[in-house]
Amino acid sequence: MSADVEHLTCKELVEVLTNYLEDALEADERADIERHLVICRGCSNYVEQMRSTIGLLGRIPDDDGAVHSEKLLSMFGEWQAGRA
Amino acid sequence: MQPAAIGAGRSDDEDERALIAALRRGEEAAFVELIDRHGAALVRLARTFIRDRAVAEEVVQETWLAVLNGIDRFEGRSSLKTWVFQILSNRARSRAVRESRSAPFSAFAGDGADDQAAVDADRFRGEQHRWAGHWAAAPSDWSHLPEERLLGRETLALVLEAIRMLPPRQADVIVLRDVEGWQPDEVCAALGITDANQRILLHRARSKVRAALERYLAAEGATR
Repeated sequence: MSADVEHLTCKELVEVLTNYLEDALEADERADIERHLVICRGCSNYVEQMRSTIGLLGRIPDDDGAVHSEKLLSMFGEWQAGRA
Repeated sequence: MQPAAIGAGRSDDEDERALIAALRRGEEAAFVELIDRHGAALVRLARTFIRDRAVAEEVVQETWLAVLNGIDRFEGRSSLKTWVFQILSNRARSRAVRESRSAPFSAFAGDGADDQAAVDADRFRGEQHRWAGHWAAAPSDWSHLPEERLLGRETLALVLEAIRMLPPRQADVIVLRDVEGWQPDEVCAALGITDANQRILLHRARSKVRAALERYLAAEGATR
């Protein structure tokens, strides 16, 4: 983003948000975003929505975790026998 | 049932070398250890490509067989985990394409390097406006939502569905980073992409999932 950093728009902020959250911005770019967030309710909400989204992604369950191990172990047995 | 070769106090590298050696010797305990570590995550990853649970499990089983059959040739250029997940994601994707019924749109889409905006342009004020580029329709505050709506099963199901709609590369990156919690460098190694590319794909993917959630939560709010 090469736009005038003193006048970072909301439209620009949402495009650099991942770089911000991933800590991949220069210090001055970071400071611009933080200044913007202090005064912009819409963007603060947007950032919180994104954090919630990331949090939800991390809560997708393991699908009860049953990994049908009997089938896998008999497959392993066959594989082992084939190698011998 | 711990394999004798895998003890505490080793570095991850040593631990992994020991596990690979035990597998090559055909030790069942080493295989069980590998399933314990990655089995559930593999099923979860497969299900981000394939809706049908039974088919997803079949793909995981094929993956394990491919791992066993390939273990002698595995050269350790990437980590074992990376290698196993690469095998799965290739197989799951081609299976999703074959099974047209369960194929996500993503299976037919491009490589994910699209240049779509994170947020629809009409959410912002136009060029003529004094506040061009600022919100016209600002995002709402989700912290007012009841917890069961934001964190409920239906919402999680919607997130999973949103992932299935993503172009493949974007889906890979968001699943490995945000669902599985991998580090950026692990994801780059698994997918053979640069760090900058990884961040672009993550950005597109997260932006789309957020937008899907926003639509869903707004509609929910309107009907209740």
